[in-house]
Amino acid sequence: MTQSNNESPENWLNDYGDILYRFALARVRSEATAEDLVQETLLAGFLAFDKFSGNSTVRTWLVGILKHKIIDHYRKHSRELTLLNNDESANDVLAYQFDQQGNWQVDLVEWGTPDKSMDDEQFWLAFNDCLTRLPQRMADLLLLRTVDGLETEECCALLGFESDNQLWVTLSRTRVKLRQCLETNWFSKE
Amino acid sequence: MYKCKEIIELTSKEMDISLPWVTRMEMKLHFLMCKTCSRYAKQLQFMNKALGALEGHSHAENCQLSDSAKQRIAKKMQQAKEAVK
Repeated sequence: MTQSNNESPENWLNDYGDILYRFALARVRSEATAEDLVQETLLAGFLAFDKFSGNSTVRTWLVGILKHKIIDHYRKHSRELTLLNNDESANDVLAYQFDQQGNWQVDLVEWGTPDKSMDDEQFWLAFNDCLTRLPQRMADLLLLRTVDGLETEECCALLGFESDNQLWVTLSRTRVKLRQCLETNWFSKE
Repeated sequence: MYKCKEIIELTSKEMDISLPWVTRMEMKLHFLMCKTCSRYAKQLQFMNKALGALEGHSHAENCQLSDSAKQRIAKKMQQAKEAVK
């Protein structure tokens, strides 16, 4: 794949379409929506190509546009998303990990030197798989907050949390769930 | 004194906002005494690091745009090109 900085928009669909599509699909979990996002991204890139500075690759630049499109998508659809996803409210996430007094009742597996996992493509398969297994709103929250760096207030507004506290609690539970899945899917198997 | 269940919530919260130093001290003390919570905190930090690197790896699943989607998008690109002319 070429990554020169003066490539023509006509080749974008072939060169970057699939990359953008996978990126979008990992976030929105709907093929039709992901396709729309790729289309919007390529069109926006085409119309703004004269603003492309050449400081990054076209690929990085297009992914940047796609990220904005994804956040826009959440903004446009926040109400529907909230109604769809109330499945994480159940307390069961923590119930089996802690006893009545709030002490651990499971043992956490030692992860050794997890950093070296990051060089392993298999690890990323497991990691992405665990993200997909999270309830949608939990995954949305975690990624909007930690990957996209959106402020707490905006996350609350987009995903329909009524208070900061509700958001912190959900974020913590999301991490508990993700950690548990990584342990089962990866670190217990190594 | 915080319970383990509260400590893991604070551990998560600390990644997003700064906590009062009294709370941080109590957490440190708890980690010294509780191996499981201390392990949990380390694993959460690793997860954050991995999330930061996710962008280069979210392509892991092997999906492609369908031919019909490609055709549709190519057509839109073509229309946009003609409109700009």
